Amino acid sequence: MSTPQTTQSSSPIADLSYRHYDGPLDSVSARWWCIAKMTMQMATKKRGFWGWSIFSAWWYIILLAIFWFMDNLSGGAPGSNIFLTRIIWKDQFLHAFSYSQLLLMVVTLLVGVGTIANDNRSNALLVYLSKPCSRFDYVFGKWLGIFLLITAVSLVPMMVFYLYGYMSFQDYGFWTQSPWLFLKLIFVAAASGAVHASLAIGVSSLFNQGRLASATYAGMYFFSNIFTLIIFGLNAGTVGSGGKSPDLFRTLFYCSIDGLQIGLAKLIIGTNGSDVLPGMSGAGGGRRRGGGPAQQFSPEDIIIHAPYIAIIVPFFIFIVATGFLIAWSRIKAVEVV
Amino acid sequence: MVSTVPLVSIKNLTVRYGSFVALNNFSCDIEPGCTGLLGPNGAGKTTLLKTILGFVKPTEGGGDILGLDLHTGGKQIRQRVGLMPEQDCHIPGLSAVGFVAYAGELAGMPADQALRRAHEVLEYSGLGEARYRNVETFSTGMKQRIKLAQAMIHGPKLLLLDEPTNGLDPRGREEMLDLIKDISHGKGVNVLISSHLLPDIERVCDRVVVVLKGQLVSQGKIKDLKAIEGQPLDVDLRESSDAFLAKVREKGALATSLKRATYRVQLAGTRENAISVVLAAAAESNAQVRGVRLAERSLEDAFLEAIQP
Repeated sequence: MSTPQTTQSSSPIADLSYRHYDGPLDSVSARWWCIAKMTMQMATKKRGFWGWSIFSAWWYIILLAIFWFMDNLSGGAPGSNIFLTRIIWKDQFLHAFSYSQLLLMVVTLLVGVGTIANDNRSNALLVYLSKPCSRFDYVFGKWLGIFLLITAVSLVPMMVFYLYGYMSFQDYGFWTQSPWLFLKLIFVAAASGAVHASLAIGVSSLFNQGRLASATYAGMYFFSNIFTLIIFGLNAGTVGSGGKSPDLFRTLFYCSIDGLQIGLAKLIIGTNGSDVLPGMSGAGGGRRRGGGPAQQFSPEDIIIHAPYIAIIVPFFIFIVATGFLIAWSRIKAVEVV
Repeated sequence: MVSTVPLVSIKNLTVRYGSFVALNNFSCDIEPGCTGLLGPNGAGKTTLLKTILGFVKPTEGGGDILGLDLHTGGKQIRQRVGLMPEQDCHIPGLSAVGFVAYAGELAGMPADQALRRAHEVLEYSGLGEARYRNVETFSTGMKQRIKLAQAMIHGPKLLLLDEPTNGLDPRGREEMLDLIKDISHGKGVNVLISSHLLPDIERVCDRVVVVLKGQLVSQGKIKDLKAIEGQPLDVDLRESSDAFLAKVREKGALATSLKRATYRVQLAGTRENAISVVLAAAAESNAQVRGVRLAERSLEDAFLEAIQP
């Protein structure tokens, strides 16, 4: 029995002729949203993004565990736990945010720092700018994608911890200590997202390889951090020897990628910071210059207070605007063809 | 009926880069169909493409691109135009279908339509089997095809192709030219090809625009450019015949031998009259005519003559 001869296409789509597209086309405005969406989609496909993002919430997880045990194992009447009565709730958010800084930088390296550099390497600008996208669409779309991701990575654990605190610790002043804390935390996370996004695209636009851009960003982060640690150390030394550093000198503590965000967080939340947890501080001792008697001081003495708003806010605006403008100036449509 | 309204109408365009004048009082009309943009390096071809895409602001002059003003059209023009650049380009980290669909979204297509259409154009471009591969793993030929696919994903009315056969092997080049010829003839897509390869232009284009030192040197249909003044005929005989040459000269024709059995004959009067004189001379000299055609030069000769100082 013979089988009938049939003509089969080698492709699953049999009709390979060209058909014109007559479907809808969206307005040429707001193309940046399309770019932001793709930036986020590509970042969230990376397993590393999820791993490091969860890891960045490590202090919130520890706090949740501590407070859960304190709340459930104390066994006293509501509001009677001495440990919990001494908690300054807004400072817990500040500490957790501070401890997540290094990991937020790693998340930024993963999602954002290579984004424009890799586009430069693969001539992707030819694709973007030959479509109805302007330089602004491209740069702002990239910025927005990174901003939203970093903001979300900061904000989600804050909100989880906030929700837990709100539901469990009303008796310990969770709400009454800072009624607007919820909104303030959103601004803290957004400020962090803005700083990382601007610096990421600014650095990224200077390179043709994502790895070089990432190394430069990490270098900027660590060198500026070392600078602020030196400032912190000098300030602690001065306090330990019974002196007091000038305010302007202490403000230099905030001249780093970390410091800028922590300074803004202190201003927004409305705190100078405090001990990590009640009972963790002990009296410290210092020795006067010249071998005099030791000066007793509390760790709170060496905590650097919130920066002046007149300094930190212009600095924040300068950093965000500079990163954006560097990227903007490096993207030139005339060079793409 | 084919529309004769120009797709691109450039009027007295001057583009400067600092003190360097890239296009100098340049005017041309690009008609529907497939047009080749010819010119030596530095002639201003790329500047013309940049100006059409709205990347370069002209110092003087202006024009209409698909009915949109060159000065103010910018994004609207790019939504109706597709660019296949000369250099390799892709969005890193995306598969072929992801890349082409994203290009469609950038052009304004809704995401679902862009994805569906991406599959179609990849099939059409011959990349159906490779659609889920990362573009970075593609060969040169495949990269050329995907550049074409991303350029036509949104159904542009005008495709700008910059050296579309660059880096292709002979078979790939043939396939790419077939693709271009297919979309530029009867599919509602108009094509402007910038290329140095005259055989490619000759094969797929109906018209050419020749640019030199920022100025228009020549434009028109390829067959008109190739035509020789006086419209001589090329006569192919079965074998060479001095008697035919003598007879045709006796009848008042200017005749020369081109190669073994081919003669170029030029006569005053109509083409029909010239053919009848040729056939009569052949009959009288017992020569067997295999073919008579209008003589024309190669596009290369026409191009070289056009850019002669």
